[in-house]
Amino acid sequence: MDEFFQQLINALVLGGIYALIAVGYTMVYGIIQLINFAHGEVFMLGAYFAFTLVTAFHLPFWAAVPISMILCAGFGLLMDYVAYRPIRNAPRLSALITAIGVSIALQNIARIIWGAKPRPFPSDSLPSFMRQLGQNETPEIYFSLLGIEFTQANISFSENVSIAYLDFFIILLAIILMVALNRLVTLTKIGKAMRACAQSRIAANLMGINTNRVIAVTFAIGSFLGAIAGVMVGVREYIEPTMGYYKGVAAFAAAVLGGIGNITGAMFGGLLIGFAEVFGAGYIPYGYGSGYRIAIAYIVMIIVILIRPTGLFGKSTGHRA
Amino acid sequence: MMQNSLSFFNTRILKNSLSSKNIVLCLFVLLFPAIMYYGLDSISLILSKINIYPPIPPGDYMVYITVQVCIYILLAIGLNIVCGYTGLLDLGYVGFYLIGGYTVGLLMVRLGLSYWFALPIAIIHGAGWGLLRGAPTLRLTGDYFAIVTFGFAEFLRIAVKNEIWLIGDINGFVKKIPPVSIPFTEIEFRENWHHYYHILILIAIVIFVSYRLQHSRIGRAWIAIREDEQAAASMGINISRYKSLAFAISAAIGAIGGGFLAQFWGDLSARTFEFWESILILCMVILGGKGSIKGSIIGAIFIGFLGEILRFIPDQLDLPELAGARYLVYGVILVLLMRFRPDGLIFKKSG
Repeated sequence: MDEFFQQLINALVLGGIYALIAVGYTMVYGIIQLINFAHGEVFMLGAYFAFTLVTAFHLPFWAAVPISMILCAGFGLLMDYVAYRPIRNAPRLSALITAIGVSIALQNIARIIWGAKPRPFPSDSLPSFMRQLGQNETPEIYFSLLGIEFTQANISFSENVSIAYLDFFIILLAIILMVALNRLVTLTKIGKAMRACAQSRIAANLMGINTNRVIAVTFAIGSFLGAIAGVMVGVREYIEPTMGYYKGVAAFAAAVLGGIGNITGAMFGGLLIGFAEVFGAGYIPYGYGSGYRIAIAYIVMIIVILIRPTGLFGKSTGHRA
Repeated sequence: MMQNSLSFFNTRILKNSLSSKNIVLCLFVLLFPAIMYYGLDSISLILSKINIYPPIPPGDYMVYITVQVCIYILLAIGLNIVCGYTGLLDLGYVGFYLIGGYTVGLLMVRLGLSYWFALPIAIIHGAGWGLLRGAPTLRLTGDYFAIVTFGFAEFLRIAVKNEIWLIGDINGFVKKIPPVSIPFTEIEFRENWHHYYHILILIAIVIFVSYRLQHSRIGRAWIAIREDEQAAASMGINISRYKSLAFAISAAIGAIGGGFLAQFWGDLSARTFEFWESILILCMVILGGKGSIKGSIIGAIFIGFLGEILRFIPDQLDLPELAGARYLVYGVILVLLMRFRPDGLIFKKSG
């Protein structure tokens, strides 16, 4: 049972990260029906930007992360302006091929600049609670409350179940950002404009909404959220040029599962894919689970597209694809 | 229609195509290894006598990379059937390449079967997977189809990495695939120019099949589906049947490419069949102009040699980290093409 709870916590963390990336896919798809393949690369760049700011510019972590997020948001705007806006009215497959082209180009630019080797986030630049302890270090216990021990590195519920502060922070951050995004889309004027554009871009335009600006803002928000997810994955695991590709596909699967174009769906889809991946890797026997870990997202994605293309939360739009 | 369907053997067209330009081209293609071995190497030899060492690659290396490019020509023609004729975006073509490669490789290594039996089995196997993938995706169009094909190919690659009982090694390694010999003779395909003529024959067959299909009832049905699926259906075209046929033939051609690759390299690894390879082939088809055989061939030659040049330059300059620039260039080419010439650089789409 201990293992189960530990996996549950891991799944929550992974799911939160996927949800943060998936909203970027789903928002763009909702408005311009484009699978923005390059979104995973923005996520990867977020991690690399923060890494560079910390190592080369010696900025403190708390300054590097917001700057990296803003840089990525700007990058999203640039991508939209340079690559996608000129072909807005071209056939949809042209846009998809462009997105793939942008994705490959960015991934290899990163490879040329930062090298192909996976790099850990430098641990001495991290705030103290995010640091992971070495194998032999026993964490110092600060205090315990109702049998829950708050130690130097984690909150420990029992001997084998604990949640690192970093993971706790990621879950908290994901929840806060998701709620904020939800408020933004439902309550503000720009959110209203986004929803209008998603329903019909032409009609929104006729109502005096500057659709190009709304699309640009969508790209910026998606990239902003993707960047923080990138930094968190970078801190928790490591940074490499292909991370955007693998995590991006899993997040895209999450967006499809939740019903592409649906923000709430993307959040739940992210959680579900996180659960499927962690529990699949943990409980499918004979080593198949870990070997096929990446494939789980692909399988879920294919099954959803074939059986229920509108996803779990999506409404049928009448036309498909 | 009669005249059209017979056009490949039509004597009038044959006569017209016997222009001096075409004859020179044919001779060049047929004598390519000889030109490289005797021409290029003797130029280097003469220049080296007067102490000039230009970076001319050796002739054998040129033949070797030409064989690589020829594999891409084959694959581009195959992908053109789904992407060009029926207008569906296939992001997982490398999956059939993989199936062909591993079918031939495993049959030859683990069962000791002759290549001449293994290759037809690989073709049928590939076509079978094409149908299998095609059946559930018949009603999908546009980006959903693209995503399913992408997932399919990635899944196959991961499966090959994991199914150690089948492959016999980790990471999809199949090693020491024996060289192929011509039946009843002692000749083994060991030299690069052997492989060159081998793939030339395969390409000729594939071009012939693809050309005859394009100018037949089937090809017209595919193009009708591409232009407007509902209109095509209402004209009495059996959409499912013709789409399945396109998937199967395209997959079979991909499997031929993989089968050839297995005996050409002698080793297989799952890393050969990554997603980017699909994009590379797609790039070739789009560059040449979707739906045109000539376009696919020229696109494959252009992109293939460009890739080799981009690999060659960092080697010469001793900058290994620029090796990734190859894919960067492909990405930029895709973006620019879609922006300025979505119908391809070389040929407008036919029909």
